[in-house]
Amino acid sequence: MKRRSFIKKAGLTAASSIAAPYLLPSGRLFAQTGMATAGHVVLVLFAGGVRQQESMLKRYLAESQGLDIEGNIMYNMLTGDAPELKIVYGIESADGQPGGEPIDAILETPLQLQGTLFPEVRYSTGGTGHYAGLSTSVSGHYGLTQGLQDRPLRPTIFEYLRRHAGYKATDVWFMGTGTGNSVPLLNHSANANYGAQYGANFFAPTVTFEREGGEFLNGFKTYHPDEELDPIEKMRVFLNQNFMAQGGGIPNLNNTEEEKENIKAFIQHVFDQLENDQIAFPPVTDNQDTATIGYTTELLKWFKPKLTVVNMSAIDVCHDSYTGYLQSLHRADHAVGHLWKFIQEQIPEMAGDTAMIVMPEHGRNYEHNAVLDQNDWFAFDHDSDANSRRIFTMMAGPGIEANLMVGSQGNPIGDAADIVPTIAEILGIKSEVMSAGLLHPGAMSLFDRI
Amino acid sequence: MRFTQKYFILFFSLLCLFSCKEESYIYEVNDLTIESNNSNKGKEKTPSQYLNILYANLYQKPLSPNKLVDLINLVNSIGDKQVAYETIIAKMMTDPDIQIPSKSSMNADIDAFVTETYKRFYVRIPTEAEKTYFVNFIQSHPNIGPEHIYFSFATSNEYYFY
Repeated sequence: MKRRSFIKKAGLTAASSIAAPYLLPSGRLFAQTGMATAGHVVLVLFAGGVRQQESMLKRYLAESQGLDIEGNIMYNMLTGDAPELKIVYGIESADGQPGGEPIDAILETPLQLQGTLFPEVRYSTGGTGHYAGLSTSVSGHYGLTQGLQDRPLRPTIFEYLRRHAGYKATDVWFMGTGTGNSVPLLNHSANANYGAQYGANFFAPTVTFEREGGEFLNGFKTYHPDEELDPIEKMRVFLNQNFMAQGGGIPNLNNTEEEKENIKAFIQHVFDQLENDQIAFPPVTDNQDTATIGYTTELLKWFKPKLTVVNMSAIDVCHDSYTGYLQSLHRADHAVGHLWKFIQEQIPEMAGDTAMIVMPEHGRNYEHNAVLDQNDWFAFDHDSDANSRRIFTMMAGPGIEANLMVGSQGNPIGDAADIVPTIAEILGIKSEVMSAGLLHPGAMSLFDRI
Repeated sequence: MRFTQKYFILFFSLLCLFSCKEESYIYEVNDLTIESNNSNKGKEKTPSQYLNILYANLYQKPLSPNKLVDLINLVNSIGDKQVAYETIIAKMMTDPDIQIPSKSSMNADIDAFVTETYKRFYVRIPTEAEKTYFVNFIQSHPNIGPEHIYFSFATSNEYYFY
C-alpha cells in the first residue's frame, strides 16, 4: 500500500470510529464513563412547599404564629428535641385531643447523622409553583416557558439514565400522589432526542390500587402465556404490521412484552396484598403521602429499580390549614423514616446499596395569608418570595459522608437543579448528563459543592 | 332518386342514434369500493375517545359520564398506556354483561365474523389478505375464540387512531 493511501485509510478509520456511535449489547450508545457509587437511588420529593422555619430551623410555632414554642417535628430526619407544648401534629391522644399524640420515631439514628445535609439550598429561578418545582427536580432545568399541562421541555433524569446507562423501562419509576397538577407528565420529557422511548414507568398508586383501580382493574383476567397470550400477540403483530406500514404507531415507554406482563402481575399482586392486609404501609397511614410510600415499598420489593422518584404533596394543605400542614410535615418525615428502614431491612438486594435523597420542590412564604384554621393559626402560600426559594437537601447511602452539614443560613450552598447531576454522579453518568448541555446553567452535582 | 335519398337519411339517422351506445360487459366480478386498509386514520384517540368507543364496542351501549371520569383517571395513573388499556380490557372480559359472539357462532361463519369484527373495531371492511389471514388463523388455532380476537383488535395500533 502506498504511503498516501495508507494515511488516508487510517485517517478515515480513526475519524469514523470517533464520529460514528456504536451500539452496546444493552442498546445504548457509547460506554458509560463514570463509576456508580450505589446500585440504586430513591429520590423523595418532600413536596407541597415546606418552610425552612418549621423544618430545618425547628421553630414550630415561633416564627409563624407569634407563640414562643420551638421544637423538631421531623425527628426521623433531623436531630433535635420535639416541642413540648401545643402538640397538634400527631395522632389523636388517649384523652381525645386531635393530633395530641406525636408519632413514635422509626429511625433510631436520624438521617441527618447517617448522611449529608445541605440545610440552605436555593430554588433560584422562576416562580415557586408545584409543577415548575417538580419539573426542575426531575429535569435539572427551570422551565421558565414550561406549560402547566405540557411535559418538561428538557430531558428528565429517567431519560438520561435509560439512554446513557442502558437501563430498561422497569428500572426507572416515578410514583405520584395523584393524577392532578400534571404529575403524570413528569415521567418523561417532550425533548426530541430523548422522550417517551426513554421514559419512566409511572403509578399514582392511590388511584391505580384504590377506588378506581379496585372497580376497573382488580381481578382482571390473566391469559395463559402459550395458549392465549401467544396467539393474541401474533394477531396483534399482524394488525400492527399492516397499520404501521402506513405510518401508524403510538409513542410508548418501550417496555418489552415481558416487562409489560411483569407490571400487570405486580398490579394484581398489590390488589392481593391489599386484600390480605399485607402492604407495608407506614405504621401511621392516614393520608395520601403515607399511602403512596406504602405502595412504593411494594414497588421497590418487586422491581428493585435503579431509580425511583416518589412524590408527596399533602403539605400543601398549608394554603388553608397550618395545623394540617404541621400534621402533614410530621407524617412526611414518618414516611421517609419508614421507607429508609424498609429498604435496609426488607429488601436485601437494595440494603446498603441504595442512596436516598430528600428535597422539597420549593419553600413557602415568610408572611402568612389571611386564612385561620381551627386553632386560629394563620396559613401560608407560596408566591415566589425569598422564603419560598429556601429549601434543603438531605442524602444518605453508600459513598455519602455521614454526619456532614454543608452550608448554613448565612452561606447557602446548592440549587434545586443540582439533583439531576447528583443522581447522575451516583449512578455513573455524570459526564454524559453534563455534556448534553441541557441542565440549568450552573447546575452541578452536590458532591462537587462539598 | 328522392326515394333512395329518404332511405339513406333514415338509415343514417338510425346509425347515429345507436352507434354511440356503450356496450356493457359483465365479467362475473362483484363491484368493490376501493379504500386504503387503514381508512386514513391519522389522529390518535384521546383516552376519553378511546374509552368511550371501547366501551360501546364491547358492551354495545354507551359509557356513563361517571364511569368515564373514573376510567380516565385510572388510565392517567399508569405510565404505560398499553398496560393500562390491556388490564382494563382484561377486567371487562370478566364482566358477564359484555357483548361478545359465541365461539360456535364464530365457527359457523368465520368469513362473516372476521368482516363484522373489522367493521366493529376498525369501522372498515377487511382487505382480502386480512380476511384470508384471520380465516386461516382461526381455523388453525381451535383454542382461540372471539374474546381473544377482540382483545387483539382493541389493543392494536389502528384502534388507537381515528
